[in-house]
Amino acid sequence: MVDPTAGPAATAAVPRLATRPARLDGLVVGLVANPKKNAEPFLDAVGELLAAEHGTADVVRTRKTSITDPIAPAVLDELAQRCDVVLIGVGDCGSCSAAAVADGIAFEAAGVPAAVICTDAFRVSADAMARLQGSPGYTYVTTAHPLAPLDADGVRDRARLALPELVGMLSSAVPAVAR
Amino acid sequence: MSIDENALAGLRSTLEADDYRMALAETGDRVEVTITAGPAACEDCLVPKPIMRNILHAALGVPEDAIVLKYPADAS
Repeated sequence: MVDPTAGPAATAAVPRLATRPARLDGLVVGLVANPKKNAEPFLDAVGELLAAEHGTADVVRTRKTSITDPIAPAVLDELAQRCDVVLIGVGDCGSCSAAAVADGIAFEAAGVPAAVICTDAFRVSADAMARLQGSPGYTYVTTAHPLAPLDADGVRDRARLALPELVGMLSSAVPAVAR
Repeated sequence: MSIDENALAGLRSTLEADDYRMALAETGDRVEVTITAGPAACEDCLVPKPIMRNILHAALGVPEDAIVLKYPADAS
């Protein structure tokens, strides 16, 4: 279970983000999937598009076993060592959206640029977790709710639609700003 | 209680996306918020209470400690 009070004190005026690389080519991308249906296929599709169109070198996959829990510290540490940037998602329910945002903030604190994906029905939960973690306005990418019922083609279409925003969030020379 | 209707509507929509419903009842200086689950709701999908209190505090304009929050699991 995410302890939303376990993060930094909620006093930050803006989210603290890791420094973004100027480009993604040659970089290793971490894919942090939650157990929700279609989370892994969505992230895999984004990973494939990043390799094909932005020259990323490799992906490192991990699948969380809990909808509600944050990523295990040991897993976060390993990914932070192995990955240049990470994608986290897909927040397609209240608690997993909140957990995804908590994970994104944790990766940023570890110095790893992160892009969190949630479906648009769960902005309220995601934004609340950002406030409680001391990163009000933390920016994430949304895709239309729901994701779970989509077939493989539908998931790939969603990944394609989200790609430009994800690339901008991970590689912007000017870090993403709070909404 | 100074309700932000937009925020409250957003919360209701978020809950309904996971097949939950919310009922509010004002009792003196406290607000009782009862969340109920529909047939398609998954217990794990409901945000932890501290997050819900944060959302409700903003939406209802009352201190978090004035919110009596009841989740479906509380009844069991």
